[in-house]
Amino acid sequence: MKKATPYLLLIPALLFTLLVLVYPLVQNLINSFSDVSMITGRSGWAGWRNFELVFGDSLFWRSFRNTSVYAVAGTVLALVIGLAFALLLNLKLGKLSTVMSCLYTVPWVISPVVAGFAWKWILNDNFGIINFWFAKLGIATIGTTWLGDPTTALFCVMIARIWQFYPFAMVMFLAGIQSIPQEQYEAAAVDGATMVRRFFHITLPNLKAVTSVLLVLGVIWSFNDFNMVFVMTRGGPMNSSMVLPVLVREFSFVHFDLGRGSALSVMIFGLLTSLSFLYLKILGKNETA
Amino acid sequence: MKKIVLLSALFTFLFLSCDKKSDAVEIHNWNFGGRPKLIEFLRNRVTSFEEKHPGINVIQSDKSWNMIREILYADFSAGAGPDVMNTHSNFAAEFGEAGFYYPINKFPDFEQVKEWYIPHLFESTRYKDNYYGLPSSAIAFVLCCNKELFDREGIKPPKTWSQFREAAKRLTKDTNGDGQIDQYGLVLMGGDKGGFAYRTIPFFFKAGADVMSEDLKTIKFNSPQGVAALKLFADMYQIDHSITPGFLAYGHSETNDLVSGDRAAMSIEGPWFRGMVSDKKPGKDIYVVAVPVPDDMIDQYETAPTLQDMVMYSINARSKHLNEAWELLKYLRNEEADMFWITQDLGATATTRKALESQEAKSVPDIQLYINELNHARPWPPHPKMIAIASNVFTPYCQKAIVGELSPKAALDQAAQEAQDIISGKK
Repeated sequence: MKKATPYLLLIPALLFTLLVLVYPLVQNLINSFSDVSMITGRSGWAGWRNFELVFGDSLFWRSFRNTSVYAVAGTVLALVIGLAFALLLNLKLGKLSTVMSCLYTVPWVISPVVAGFAWKWILNDNFGIINFWFAKLGIATIGTTWLGDPTTALFCVMIARIWQFYPFAMVMFLAGIQSIPQEQYEAAAVDGATMVRRFFHITLPNLKAVTSVLLVLGVIWSFNDFNMVFVMTRGGPMNSSMVLPVLVREFSFVHFDLGRGSALSVMIFGLLTSLSFLYLKILGKNETA
Repeated sequence: MKKIVLLSALFTFLFLSCDKKSDAVEIHNWNFGGRPKLIEFLRNRVTSFEEKHPGINVIQSDKSWNMIREILYADFSAGAGPDVMNTHSNFAAEFGEAGFYYPINKFPDFEQVKEWYIPHLFESTRYKDNYYGLPSSAIAFVLCCNKELFDREGIKPPKTWSQFREAAKRLTKDTNGDGQIDQYGLVLMGGDKGGFAYRTIPFFFKAGADVMSEDLKTIKFNSPQGVAALKLFADMYQIDHSITPGFLAYGHSETNDLVSGDRAAMSIEGPWFRGMVSDKKPGKDIYVVAVPVPDDMIDQYETAPTLQDMVMYSINARSKHLNEAWELLKYLRNEEADMFWITQDLGATATTRKALESQEAKSVPDIQLYINELNHARPWPPHPKMIAIASNVFTPYCQKAIVGELSPKAALDQAAQEAQDIISGKK
């Protein structure tokens, strides 16, 4: 009986996991190979047809390109900014550093939906603060369109995403910087290394592990990001900022074609699972190093 | 032992103190959208309904109008959903065909109830041989003009397309002399796919274009009249630059802000707009006029159709309490209740004969215009795929034409082809 107790205690958690994780995943997989309409329900086995429909849709390829740019470029830029702020905070300016570190982390704790709405108004062409200041500085005029212009919409959403993600990168980088042995810097100083050389030859190599983890995590989270894009542009104008998670919603809840929506979400799931394995591999490597 | 006795006593007390299972029938009423005044009115109405029907307990929930279709689809397809709800009247085709709505003409007193309403408005709730709801807020799409800007420029609201284009051009200007345009003739709501379709199609209708053939088998919005309507917007955007450049990102709040803030002179709207503008900027006045017609149709200015939209109250076909739901439906939408649409600004027009013919109706702003427009207006064709086509096919192609990615003819031809594939089941 004693031996069985731990397993018995695990049952509620296992059942819960089965219910909220495994069941929806399996159901989604079944749906992706079926003809499923929200009106008529499941009407039969579709084989690979839903996947073929997704691959044959030009909007899918556009969304895939947008998502890749949004996830990769957005994460890289957020990491660069996060690192810069981490270096600044590492200057140890007493209480000022504490206050600044609190302020810099504010974007991270704001809900993405609230942040999305805030950015939508910040970027408003006629009443937004960005155009107000840009007009004062002579960079742009009141009325300059950001979210309504197909050429700038995705870029604007990406800025909002970077603004939300960089504090996490900053905190991780700061922890990484503070764990670098001081002796390395002291030895470099004795050898006459400049601040720039110390940064490139000591700080950056020591942050390699943190950077890879952040890069993979950032890409996974951004790839999966629905809220910011949906709130700010809904994938518009004219699908110029359409990303894969928003497209899943379009297929499933606008066209009410759950089969196609499920097929796309299975594809995203596969891609993100591969990235997650990469993340775990990097994490394992770092722990053994 | 004492502990066991105490615990048993506690459980017994808790069990006994629990509410005895009520014999009252419980029905769920979902209210989508509405101004705060309307929500308060509905809550009071439900309370008084419960007082008059002690055997019926109504659970009222307020939900967002923006996600109405997704919410209802998800619930209905799962066999759930409320007993009673307010929805778009054009859902009658889509949800009626799917078997989600209960045909109210099956109730024995249906014919008497039908008599309360303006007949052509009531017809909007019909799909094939069945009626799927009681009319609530009627809407005719009109042109709202910023009175201050029009008066300052000394021009009158337009009646023809030439006057419309000319007015928009004259009202597009640099008002502060910094060399930049900061006031535009027209604002379009392009960030909301459905909202955009509802605001452009009145021009198609006014020009005599159809969306579909009468048998609902052929798409017809790419007719020469439709192309002319779309070309009007494309020319205003590309040649005159009199449409706000950022329109593709605008929803309700942006269009309201632009008109209230004197940054836009005209917007295609409905009866809600006067209240929205005055809520935003108290004292701000607008001219509300019919949507302009092509120049050679000036004699039909008052009779050419605009788009008619309407809210209706429907019953879930899977409701276990159909009779109780019908009682609530009638109580929420009877002639007495409809008077509230006359005495208060709810952003929509009343639908019963009694309310519209009442003495009080005579003092409602713009009511004669709305009544006249509603007399001639046409709803979207009652095809189950119509809403999806309007939002997901018509809108993106029209937007491409307006910004110049496609010619109006090519855009409408491609949209028509895609829409045709949808209605014929190829896509």
